[in-house]
Amino acid sequence: METHELISAVQALEPAAVPREKVDRAAVVAPVERFLELMARLRDEPDLRFDMLCTHTAIDWIAEARLELVYCLYSTVHRHYLVVSASVPREAAVMPSMQALWPIAEWQEREVYDLFGVRYTGHPDLRRILLDDDWQGFPLRKDYRDDFMLEGPK
Amino acid sequence: MGLITEKLPALVEPVPGGSVLLSSLDAVINWARSNSLWPLTFGTSCCAIEVMMAAGAARHDLARFGAEVTRPSPRQADLLVVAGTIVRKMAPRLKLLYEQMAEPRYVIATGSCAISGGPFIYNNYSTVRGADEIIPVDVYVPGCPPRPEAFFYGILMLQKLIREGESLRTPGVRRKPVLAALPAGITIEQIQQELRELLEPQGGRR
Ligand code: SF4
Repeated sequence: METHELISAVQALEPAAVPREKVDRAAVVAPVERFLELMARLRDEPDLRFDMLCTHTAIDWIAEARLELVYCLYSTVHRHYLVVSASVPREAAVMPSMQALWPIAEWQEREVYDLFGVRYTGHPDLRRILLDDDWQGFPLRKDYRDDFMLEGPK
Repeated sequence: MGLITEKLPALVEPVPGGSVLLSSLDAVINWARSNSLWPLTFGTSCCAIEVMMAAGAARHDLARFGAEVTRPSPRQADLLVVAGTIVRKMAPRLKLLYEQMAEPRYVIATGSCAISGGPFIYNNYSTVRGADEIIPVDVYVPGCPPRPEAFFYGILMLQKLIREGESLRTPGVRRKPVLAALPAGITIEQIQQELRELLEPQGGRR
């Protein structure tokens, strides 16, 4: 599907989804309520069939006190991409796990939990994946500091 | 055929029925060591592509310097090329690998990351600021990443260091670490010329 068709297809499923400007692939921002339902339908609708979760990552918008969770989807059936994102508050970052839809999400969410501290509800095994188990804090948050870090020149 | 950067420092004495080779044991040992460096395969990031893979492949051909036999086991290696970023989680493993290598062992730190932490020095929770925080380094090769030529320059510096370094009476005694920095815009021909001059003992035995 072409970009504009993809966006209207997503908006048909979720009227509150907003397309992103200035992107070279179809990208939408969806509300965090009903997000799991939206993702399930993106995976299962016959003309969308996003059966692969390429990447899941997060962006720390510290000034707006929110974390944006980004999901990069691909359809091996129709060969199209879609980037879906949703924002959660920084201090209470909770998101439903996508692990039931795409099993790979289990590790990708562990990584986002490890580095950004997002708690995934329904995740079977939410432990740190890259850092040591006893690590304090979430280092990719913009306000993270520790004793090892060297402050850069301003 | 290898490119032996210095002939064996020895004297061939003709005697009836053949000839005898006269040299000092130190010179022979150091000559042999310096021309058969076996590097340990240890690449942690982008530098490994340049200094281990490109340098070892046919175009640049590390084999000319006798250092192409990369070993997957530290027990068989005598050169540790720290090619890439060392993160805090990797640091204990690097130290372990170094300690598993048999003496004499040499370390080359290639790239800004292995020298100082490079691009990751500031505001970083993970990167060790230089391999020399963990293990002693003999030669530093600057660059991000260094070109294979620059790496060869480092290898040849190390060979020189080995030849001048240890002796049987003083095992483990090394020269101070050196920085093998190439001036910008230099070509491989210039390097080879410079090396020839650098490595040739006075009087030119070549
Ligand atoms: S010095 Fe540059 S090229 Fe080498 S590992 Fe570091 S970032 Fe990569």
